[in-house]
Amino acid sequence: MKEEDIVMEFRGYPRADGSVGIRNYVLVIPGGLVASKICEFVPGTKTVMSTKEGVGFTSRDRETIARTLFGLGLNPNVYSVIVQGGSPKAGYPELRTERLAQEIAKSGKRVEVVDAVKEGGTLEAIQKGIKIARELVFEASKVRRQPFSLGKLSLGVKCGHSDPTSGMVGNPVVGYLFDRVVEAGGIAMFGETTEIIGAEHILAKRAVNRQVGQEILARVNCIEKRALSTGEDIRTMNPVPDNIAAGISTIEEKSLGAIYKAGHLPIEGVLDFAERPKKSGLYFVDSWMGIPSIFPGFAASGAQLNLFQHGGGAGAPNNHILDPSPAVVSPMLWTSANPITYAQTKGSLDFYSGTVIEGKETLEQAGERLVNLVLEIASGTLTRGETINYSEPIEIYTIDPIF
Amino acid sequence: MLSPKDNVASVMEEVLSGDDVVAQGGIETLLLRAVDKIPFGFKVATVDIRQGDPVIKYGEVIGRASNNIQKGTLVHIHNIEGARGRGDLQKNR
Repeated sequence: MKEEDIVMEFRGYPRADGSVGIRNYVLVIPGGLVASKICEFVPGTKTVMSTKEGVGFTSRDRETIARTLFGLGLNPNVYSVIVQGGSPKAGYPELRTERLAQEIAKSGKRVEVVDAVKEGGTLEAIQKGIKIARELVFEASKVRRQPFSLGKLSLGVKCGHSDPTSGMVGNPVVGYLFDRVVEAGGIAMFGETTEIIGAEHILAKRAVNRQVGQEILARVNCIEKRALSTGEDIRTMNPVPDNIAAGISTIEEKSLGAIYKAGHLPIEGVLDFAERPKKSGLYFVDSWMGIPSIFPGFAASGAQLNLFQHGGGAGAPNNHILDPSPAVVSPMLWTSANPITYAQTKGSLDFYSGTVIEGKETLEQAGERLVNLVLEIASGTLTRGETINYSEPIEIYTIDPIF
Repeated sequence: MLSPKDNVASVMEEVLSGDDVVAQGGIETLLLRAVDKIPFGFKVATVDIRQGDPVIKYGEVIGRASNNIQKGTLVHIHNIEGARGRGDLQKNR
């Protein structure tokens, strides 16, 4: 262990399963009328709004939906969970109320079930849920933050509105952070399968073994086949118009810049959306790039903190507010290396690495500054997104047709 | 230039047509004359690239030239195309 690893600490909430929360929420799942009314009434609670409830979905996709729900419940930032039952979709074996509750309870967290049928109606369920939620947030408030090493962190990253500063500086600085977290024994996740097309051979070489390398190639092949079957040039979909407006010309160029955010260490494995890694290391998550999708997916895989590496070269109005956290229980840190983006989004951007482009800092110095900021946020400093009370429905990444 | 193998360079400030550009990071430092306006972050060809030839950035193939690209020219979607995910080139659709 290097000397700096010892002093690299944050103050987090210890959990029964050995994980460490950087926030301390009570989660109510699945989303809906009962959950949203509980959350309106009781501060410190969160819920998951998703239009994908599982009705008419294949078993594989129902499992992904379930994994997302109980994964968010298992997230270290969650102190305890209320599962609301009694809805028709809970008839599917994967989505049974008891199953969701049991999966979360394995972590040692307190899980309470509120069932509208048993309670005698929706309003009665809301009433009971509020009572329980008040008790749970009170209990949660008694947990004290304690010091933990950087290696207790799990991070997710996506790059977006990418421009040439992203591949040059913004992503490599995030990559530096990822290397540090993984070296310290933590977990780091990146994804966006479309956006490694053209760079997958480089990632496959970085896999811990041949099998993982083959898996990376197979996931890309699957997505590319899907793209070919549309009959359209992928460039009309991705790179997206603002990437092109900022100077990125092809998906290959976008991908080759995007992979820098994954740092330099070996890739431990490939995860499905919302799948939990079994050990520490760097992981590729087979996922879609959309903000409301990939970030809650990382959170369901256990990420306490997400990063959005923002290019923004296509321009934005001054005082532009960047999307606050869409990951339900995990805050999001916005970084950018673009000086113009920095000026336009000052009140929303958490970290600026354009200093490297300006020659004021080395990549390592910016990376070290980012590590320190992550530790501060992990200890309770708010991200800029957390200063806004706003949440959007999440998009669970399902694969099959619906019926 | 992000790699010595590259045949394009990314400009770190806007370049106007006729400006001299110093391209560093390649095998040797190159002096080019821009024949187009090159906005911040966009790519300029550091050598002549023939139609169909690979365009290299980060030391890797980012696409191929869709027409002949003269040294000093802006390199973007008007003169390069991707080789991957080309559903539009699929037969039997």
